[in-house]
Amino acid sequence: MKLIGVDVGGTFTDLIITDSETRESAIHKVPTTPDDPSDGAAAGIAALCERSGTAPDAIAHVFHGTTISTNAVLQYDGAETGMITSAGYRDIIHIGRHQRPQNYSIMQDIPWQARPLVRRRHRLTVKERRVPPQGAVLEPLDEEGVRQAARTLRDKGVEAVAICFLFAYIDPTHEERARAIVLEEWPEAFVTTSARVAPQFREFERFTTAAMNAFIGPKVRNYVRRFEDRLKQAGVAGDLHIMGSNGGVATAAMVADVPVITLMSGPAAGVLGGAWAAERSGRRRLITFDVGGTSADIGIVIDGHYNEATARDTWIGGYPVLVPMIDITTIGAGGGSIARVDAGGAFKVGPESAGSEPGPACYGRGGSAPTVTDANLVLGRLDADNFLGGEMTLAPERADKALTDLAETLGVDKHEAAEGVLTIVNANMANAIRSKTVQKGLDPRDFSLVAFGGAGPLHGAEVAAMLDVPEVVVPPHPGITSAAGLLTTDLKYDQIMTAFQVKGAVDIERINRDFARLSRDLMAQYEAAGLGADRVEERRAGDLRYVGQGYELRVAFPAGELDAAGLDEVWQAFHALHEREYGHCFTESPIEIVNIRITGVGRMPKIAAPPEPAGGSLAAALVKTARSVFRVDGALEGYDTAFYRRDALPLDDPIPGPAIIVQKDATTVVPPGWSVRVDRSANLILRQGEEE
Amino acid sequence: MAETPNVRPIDAVTASVIQGALENIAVEMGWKLMRMSYSSIIRESEDFGAAIIDRHGRQLCESKHSTPLQSGPIPGYVKGMNQILEERGQTLNEGDVIIHNSAYHGASHGPDVAFIVPVFHGGALVGYAVTTAHHLDIGALSPGSCGIVDAMDAYAEGLQFKALKAYDRGVANEALWHMMRDNIRAPDMVVGDMEAQVAASRIGAERYLALIERQGLDTVEAAADALMDYSERLMRQAIEALPDGTYRAEGHVDGFLDDPDRRHFKVAVAVTVKGSELVVDLDGTARQCDDRPINMPLEGTVDCAIWLTVRSILLDSESFGHIPQNSGLIRPITIKAPEGTIANPTFPAPTIARFVSGNIVADTLMKALAQAVPDKVSAGVGNLKVIAFSGIKDGGHWVHMDIHEGSYGGRAGKDAMDAVDTLYANTRNNPIEDIESHLPLRIARYELRDDASAAGRWRGGIGSIREVSFLSDSFISVEGDGHAFRPWGFDGGAEGREAALVYHRADGEDIPFPSMMPNRAVKAGERLTLTGTCGGGYGDAAERSADAVAEDVRDGYISRETAESVYGVIVTESGQLDTAATEARRGSG
Repeated sequence: MKLIGVDVGGTFTDLIITDSETRESAIHKVPTTPDDPSDGAAAGIAALCERSGTAPDAIAHVFHGTTISTNAVLQYDGAETGMITSAGYRDIIHIGRHQRPQNYSIMQDIPWQARPLVRRRHRLTVKERRVPPQGAVLEPLDEEGVRQAARTLRDKGVEAVAICFLFAYIDPTHEERARAIVLEEWPEAFVTTSARVAPQFREFERFTTAAMNAFIGPKVRNYVRRFEDRLKQAGVAGDLHIMGSNGGVATAAMVADVPVITLMSGPAAGVLGGAWAAERSGRRRLITFDVGGTSADIGIVIDGHYNEATARDTWIGGYPVLVPMIDITTIGAGGGSIARVDAGGAFKVGPESAGSEPGPACYGRGGSAPTVTDANLVLGRLDADNFLGGEMTLAPERADKALTDLAETLGVDKHEAAEGVLTIVNANMANAIRSKTVQKGLDPRDFSLVAFGGAGPLHGAEVAAMLDVPEVVVPPHPGITSAAGLLTTDLKYDQIMTAFQVKGAVDIERINRDFARLSRDLMAQYEAAGLGADRVEERRAGDLRYVGQGYELRVAFPAGELDAAGLDEVWQAFHALHEREYGHCFTESPIEIVNIRITGVGRMPKIAAPPEPAGGSLAAALVKTARSVFRVDGALEGYDTAFYRRDALPLDDPIPGPAIIVQKDATTVVPPGWSVRVDRSANLILRQGEEE
Repeated sequence: MAETPNVRPIDAVTASVIQGALENIAVEMGWKLMRMSYSSIIRESEDFGAAIIDRHGRQLCESKHSTPLQSGPIPGYVKGMNQILEERGQTLNEGDVIIHNSAYHGASHGPDVAFIVPVFHGGALVGYAVTTAHHLDIGALSPGSCGIVDAMDAYAEGLQFKALKAYDRGVANEALWHMMRDNIRAPDMVVGDMEAQVAASRIGAERYLALIERQGLDTVEAAADALMDYSERLMRQAIEALPDGTYRAEGHVDGFLDDPDRRHFKVAVAVTVKGSELVVDLDGTARQCDDRPINMPLEGTVDCAIWLTVRSILLDSESFGHIPQNSGLIRPITIKAPEGTIANPTFPAPTIARFVSGNIVADTLMKALAQAVPDKVSAGVGNLKVIAFSGIKDGGHWVHMDIHEGSYGGRAGKDAMDAVDTLYANTRNNPIEDIESHLPLRIARYELRDDASAAGRWRGGIGSIREVSFLSDSFISVEGDGHAFRPWGFDGGAEGREAALVYHRADGEDIPFPSMMPNRAVKAGERLTLTGTCGGGYGDAAERSADAVAEDVRDGYISRETAESVYGVIVTESGQLDTAATEARRGSG
């Protein structure tokens, strides 16, 4: 069976094709076509088929990572969107949580006020109101009002509508009825409801999520349809699946309906790709470290499980989004990050980035600001002639000039300045990792750092050293790890429901009833995707907190019917998790089950482990020996450093640092005091100290 | 090239690395406190602070989640604690945790309780990890900790913790904890929050010590000096850019509007800029109120209001980005307030309800600075109101604080921020779906005010209307402002709108309440309507673009009538701008 992964990034579209029988994979990179990314993707697929001698009709599945929805939000370029909401609550998405994003600013913009997803003129109210705890109707739905609102919005040229009623997460009947009425009046409208998108309490966040879904809906729907058309035209027989933020793929039809689930599509694929590579080398506790031109994405994977971000921590473009997402920390630190000394004399690197246009000074495209890439080049850690496999030549003299200017401002020599740039950017990345490990009760010394993305392997070892992480794993094709990650996923859907049940008074029957309903809804989704229940695994969980707290922790629930013993396990697991997360638990305090949830995992075909590398020799791999600069025991010194071609390295034969490993899509730095070897899973393993 | 600051390069790199590490510590403290805590005032409203203080008492970093009025006073808490300990001849030991809330020793006010963990390295004191948080109740005369507006002196405000050891060398001071449980309403919640504070402060101490062990004490302290110098340098550069001179303004706090002897308190501000120094003098501010808590601690409230305002205007993070929040920032600023005024009261004048007065200090300071930097300020800012709701349920107290937001004034080139917490407050509201699921309250309406935006070239902010119904017999008390004085318009902009509070009795009678009101009973079925303040307009309304006015009409921010009568802009019934009619109208003045 042949599978294709297509990951569309800001600059490049990465592709990988794999054959599950031969276990062979081939990769390709084409420029991204920003006006319509499906253009470049389709061209890339055609080229990859041709190169690998694959007939398009032999492709069983195309898995796709996309930034289309994210860009629509970040660029504030979505549909003219309308909202129909409960009377008395027209401005929930405008007032928000009445908090300013910045403490110390008079001139700041509040994103949801300055760039509303639904302008106030398009927020219409209708009479309806439910009240907790059971969702009793206080005010029946004014159906005629809904009909009138639908007509008004249609006549105003609105393209998409979000229906947002208070307490709809308890009982969505009013929202569903309103949706049906809007579609009766206006069948071609993109209509979304708050309870469909995010059936959880917290109205500002839920309404905003629904509004965002509507805002990006028409654009993503059209994109998905166009992509499918292009695949058909190209003769590709297989289905299109799109990567969601939750670490699974969804069908094209699902994404066309709920595009808001794809906001972290690319970074999620990266976490999976990094984990897939390192797990083949038997590594079970992983920090994924995906560094590109402008940002570094950090994830934690333990025994094949990654954490989901808590609903309170998921933001896109300054808006809160209540959808399941892999817990990924993104910071503005990458190869293009700009170094500068500010007016007060502070030395800063990032978050501003030179991006790919104009790019680092050494790209010679007009950029003159010193970047992280320039610093790496000045220190001799990048080979000017072997960048992107020689497809791009770097201009060392421009990097030199940029760093010399910076050094002058600092009053040091250029190597000190360049090394300073790396130390600062590495410290920023190490801090981000610390916040996901040390601060969560995880000891980084028990982990492997999986370094990928174009710039991850350049920084992996030094960042690991800052954290006492003993080992770095570099996947075979670091630059296309996200595309490979697309081929490791399952069809993953979530069903969530707010429960509000308190220990001591839990209605177990109700929980079981609710779980049964979620399960039915979930299976219906899989059936629509052509997957029978036998191919779907259900995982049950709950969001719990001590009564009175405002933040929940995710605890796994036992499979099947819940009973008193099972519930007791849940309470114990919550105390333990609270203790681990916060260093403290309150065993005497009552616990509240806030949400229950089921995640479905529908098995999809996957990329197989690549064959064992043939292995070469050091002599064959040696490109050159040159001076590279490293700081060892406080002293900054030049070292004679061997540059090796990765594909010619011997198998399982440790090479002492300093060494630089070059390959088409990335460069790996092995500092003095570290060693590197190619293992049988085709990963590079870097270790601090001598290899035993 | 601009003058290069004298920075040694290794210091620049190390300083950057250590700054990141310090901030990471404060963030972790705040994050853990927020997530572990029980009361909505901490976990939802984020009314807490977290900071690391060095051994000299200087703030090194603060949690970015915290509200400025909580983190800002932390150095003052430490100073006040040390002063008391010295007076008593007590010393700090490893394992100690100090509880402190004395408003006359650095605390912001009684309910903002600090837990201070001294950090020792090699037996020597090297700093303090501190959290502060607003507690729902500290045993004052009536339930809650907001709206205790009839406290007649510091003793009526609840328990006073003056640098007491909650843990002495790691051992809990059981007598103290029992006394707290016995004297605080809703003790499970409040003591639970305090335990969360202790845990968060201890984490901070642990992390700070680990940083010192990783980098060396000398390096950390050298970096801390460099970071403070850096923040100071930025502030001095910003002050130097202002024209030298003295700028004055006046503002007013409502006070107790139903009491002719205790209302309309004046706040007078004179800002003198001289080179890179700035002096804020509050001479002329009203005499203290001896027996009602409108007074503000000079250290802990007034100073924070001033620092926050100066920083938000001169080093606005929107254009300056992130700047280390440390004691260096305040070095160029001198604050003077005559003793015996509401801005520098003498013990035991009550201070518990100082919240709204401090925001008037901040707003009045901005009004003064507006003369020096008109393009960096907003017009008058609308003040806030806190309602404390309480009752008895299942044999225990329930207490809930609802902070009703104000709004900002218009700004140079920008309309205002609507319906938002203002100035030194930056809390979060509680979701309606959370409140109604857990309390016998119904939020029956929550929307922007109709046609209430102050006119200006850049319009003023729009406050909100919030309607609360009582589902069971309850109590309320009110601590607010903004009923008697309108936020100022700037440069020809219109004044904003006052707030209002109306109580709808079951018998149909509507009773207006003042902005400060002690605890009173309310009945199931009755309602309360809160109308929030609207900030002032900026610039002449006649200069607002006709298109922008038409957009305001389409969005329902203003009515067609207002567009015509105030802005001279004619908008048709269907929302179209009538260009010809507008030109005729505006042209004719």
